[in-house]
Amino acid sequence: MMIQIIAAVIATVGFSVLFGVPSKYYPYCGVIGGAGWLVYLIALERFSTAGASLAATMVVIFLSRLAAVRKKCPVTIFLIAGIFPLVPGAGVYWTAYYIVTDQLRLAAETGYTAVKVAVAIVLGIVFIFELPQGLFVRLAGNK
Amino acid sequence: MSTSGQKRIESTIDTAIDCDEDEVMELAMQAGELLLENGAEIFRVEETMDRICRHYGVESASQFILMNYILATAGEGHGHVFAKVRHIPVNGSHLDKVAAVNQLSREIAEGKYTVSEAYQALETIRRMPDKRKSVLILASGVASGAFCCLFGGNLMDCLAAAIAGFLIYVYILYISGPHLSKIVGNVGGGAFVTLVCNLLYMAGIGDHLNFMIIGSMMPLVPGVAFTIAIRDAADGDYISGTVRMIDALLVFICIAIGVGMGIAVLNPLTGGAAL
Repeated sequence: MMIQIIAAVIATVGFSVLFGVPSKYYPYCGVIGGAGWLVYLIALERFSTAGASLAATMVVIFLSRLAAVRKKCPVTIFLIAGIFPLVPGAGVYWTAYYIVTDQLRLAAETGYTAVKVAVAIVLGIVFIFELPQGLFVRLAGNK
Repeated sequence: MSTSGQKRIESTIDTAIDCDEDEVMELAMQAGELLLENGAEIFRVEETMDRICRHYGVESASQFILMNYILATAGEGHGHVFAKVRHIPVNGSHLDKVAAVNQLSREIAEGKYTVSEAYQALETIRRMPDKRKSVLILASGVASGAFCCLFGGNLMDCLAAAIAGFLIYVYILYISGPHLSKIVGNVGGGAFVTLVCNLLYMAGIGDHLNFMIIGSMMPLVPGVAFTIAIRDAADGDYISGTVRMIDALLVFICIAIGVGMGIAVLNPLTGGAAL
């Protein structure tokens, strides 16, 4: 599990570089990505993939908004790289794989899961952006 | 689409300074252009342009922003009217420029810049150097390796995914980016990743072909378009949100087709051993 989280941090920072995030924010992006994956792994023990993705997305967005308020910069900077490990890239791969190898039932199943994960991410983003900005200002100010 | 007239920024109205309207509008347009082409959300572009116009005292300004267009007008009644439409090709994400313009607009609202100083500041941001290509390729490789590990690969798989991750970004930077359309580029990218991973696998590097392919296709995945699409739609900018979401879906499907084609072609050739 430790290795997985370190991998998540590395992956997130790698993508921050690709998206041109200013280098001083790399540590924040890494921590947010790592925290998201940690929550995902913990939630996966109790909930489905989609449920775990929802929980992880909400944590990623929450931390991103906090960081954005503290650092006074666009929230996009933190959330895009942090959310990347959760985007169902693997689901897309397995769907394509099963379609090509003629395992259509499995293809439908994985494709459906990928869509559910995408919807979970959408809901996570929308829910947390509904929280009032004042809450984050207060939380960030206390630190 | 909300027009900016509805959401005035109250604090800046009192400190408004009268300046040449056309110059202010041009400044706001350039700021909006920089934001939009580097991957900002619609509401951020609106807010920034609005902030600049109000601060320099152009009360009649309003703007209409789509995913790759800005339309801005200013002027009322019979006098001089400013109107400009600009098409903005989206050229990937440079979030450092988005952050810099955002910071600049805050400082403008605090009254730290005259119009001509703001022009210079924008020009500096426009010229901000991109990251070196070698750095990008390295980052893509490292991230691919890490993703492979996340999805269950072992150390050798990660190494193989890292190699494929380097190569896929070379492909993106030098072949698909400048020469290919989005559809062909992504189908090709998916097939390219599959091919490279198969070759590595047959050369004895890596044990799980699936995890290698998943890890190294991540640099192709349209995470930015997907995320920004959701944000735009959640802000009520449905047109831009929908268009971006279609963009993201199209890329997802193209990658899947590319990978699928790669597997379908290579499977018989390698005797299915790889799968």
